[in-house]
Amino acid sequence: MLALFGVMIPFFSMAAQQPEIVCIQCHSTMPGKLGEPVKLWRGSIHAENGIACNACHGGDPADAANAMSPARGFLGAPKETAIPDFCGRCHVGVKNDYLASAHGRALGRGGPTCVTCHGNHLVLKASLNLINEQSCSRCHSFERARVIKAAMKETEDMIVAIDARITAYKAHGTDTGKLEKELFAVRNRFHTLFHNVDVELVRRDSAQIQDELKKIQNTLQGLDDSYRKRKIAGAVAVAGALLAALLLHVLRKTYD
Amino acid sequence: MTLFKRLIDWIDVRIGARQLAKEELVDYLLPANINFWYSMGSILLFIFVMQVVTGILLLIYYVPDADKAFRSVTFIMNDVPFGWLIRMCHAVGSNMMVLVLLLHMFSVLFMGSYKSPRELNWVTGFILLTLVQGISLTGYLLPWSQLSFWATTVATNSVSAIPAVGQYLVEFLRGGKLVGPPTLGRFFALHVAVIPLTIAAVVGLHLFLLERIGVSTPPFGLKETKNPWRPDGFRYEDHPGGIPFFPNYALQDLTSISIYLACFLGVVFFDPYLFFPKDAFLPANAFQTPAHIKPEWYFLANYQTLKIFPNEFIGLAVQGAAMTFLALLPFIDRGPEKHPLKRPVFMICAIGGILLWIGLGIWGHYS
Repeated sequence: MLALFGVMIPFFSMAAQQPEIVCIQCHSTMPGKLGEPVKLWRGSIHAENGIACNACHGGDPADAANAMSPARGFLGAPKETAIPDFCGRCHVGVKNDYLASAHGRALGRGGPTCVTCHGNHLVLKASLNLINEQSCSRCHSFERARVIKAAMKETEDMIVAIDARITAYKAHGTDTGKLEKELFAVRNRFHTLFHNVDVELVRRDSAQIQDELKKIQNTLQGLDDSYRKRKIAGAVAVAGALLAALLLHVLRKTYD
Repeated sequence: MTLFKRLIDWIDVRIGARQLAKEELVDYLLPANINFWYSMGSILLFIFVMQVVTGILLLIYYVPDADKAFRSVTFIMNDVPFGWLIRMCHAVGSNMMVLVLLLHMFSVLFMGSYKSPRELNWVTGFILLTLVQGISLTGYLLPWSQLSFWATTVATNSVSAIPAVGQYLVEFLRGGKLVGPPTLGRFFALHVAVIPLTIAAVVGLHLFLLERIGVSTPPFGLKETKNPWRPDGFRYEDHPGGIPFFPNYALQDLTSISIYLACFLGVVFFDPYLFFPKDAFLPANAFQTPAHIKPEWYFLANYQTLKIFPNEFIGLAVQGAAMTFLALLPFIDRGPEKHPLKRPVFMICAIGGILLWIGLGIWGHYS
């Protein structure tokens, strides 16, 4: 009997995890410099989106013996001047924006690379917060960056607010795929301005980007209206059920 | 003569419908002190029918293929007219079915209705509880979301703690080493065919036993609350001077169903996400383990029990023993007293057990 019910009831254990890639298996147990990247990566936007070690560094994440073999495409860590090309394999547009900027033009001559501002393993989601006094003043005065940041603030706030609304709808089962793609495109266009230092251009392009964002806001407003209608219908349905319960109860009493 | 009356007459002269209705509904007398808790079974029948109807409607658009399942559920939620409502009713309804089933079981426990000669009613009811747990577990995988995938991975993996055959059982359940398309096929067949048909059959048996043995008398408001049954021969428990099932108690059933509907619709329209964590709306990804996968609320106590014990097999054995004890309760508790206040030891054990179950669940939720 015990065995019968033993298999009928559902059991849960904690020991059910898919195996991790071999890079993480080995490096996460290593001390110091060799283990640090795993800890940093776990908090990154790359980890959040499932972009693991091999996506950047190459190699074979399924074969521990040959994981770091050049024959399996292992690239290792790039030299400083090669960093834009290293990141630019995926972030093609951003790489071009960077190379055209004052920062990119100073590459190899003391100028910053991608990882100077964005971090290497703890890669943060690109946002206006990356432009800050502490970071910029490592190399130069923050004054010009402050003016550009101010010009972008309103658009950035709109993007953040829309992103939060889309995330909330997604967490309710709404198909936000199209909205996410639209926001992704607009955000990317906006982020091309991040490497620019022409204040007038930033202001003009920001205005166009805000028009695009308003279209997404209108779609979200439509969803808000639809959800509000559902709640009104729900209130009517609940009230109807309660009224039916009351009437049936009264009717029953007439038979007592 | 109205068309309706003519239709009834037509049927009546052929099958004696009026006589049947009189015997089975109007002259079917229930205990005079019957209470609200006796309508839980009718609510459960209503929920089961709702689950079948919404399930069939979902089947129209649902695709049981690992590559298409999540997209098909998203399509139901967003593009099918009222698809979101049907899906929410089905998902919320499954949780409500477990909740009402537990209430039904608690009322039977406290009123001593499981005692002789109703041991088989209790056992069939207990089998229904495990079947409802099974249908909930198999249904959980079908949307092929992160929650589905990982909750099923964790649940099926637990079977591996059974000595000797554990690993084979896991592979049998999954149809492979890991949860994948074959698991979806198996769970789909169980969820839409095997388990519902079995539930319908056991519900039929449960009702047949009720019909043969008669409705138990509640122990409240009576001087004599001891079980009058003697094992000297079969005897139908009738209730002379009781209240008719129709229209009196049928109206009580409908009142209870309406109250249930109000609560159910309240959850469906205002906060169905009570039962849907964020991972329920992300497609399954075998390479990305979500941070906090927790089972449904009614499995949290099982989940926590396994974590308490240092050895998984001991955790399984304790749960198996607890479930077996509960299944065999009418054969263990053979005292004649039915009134809960005259059964202090039983009351302490029952309330202690329920509080332990709730406590383990809360612990599991926050652990």
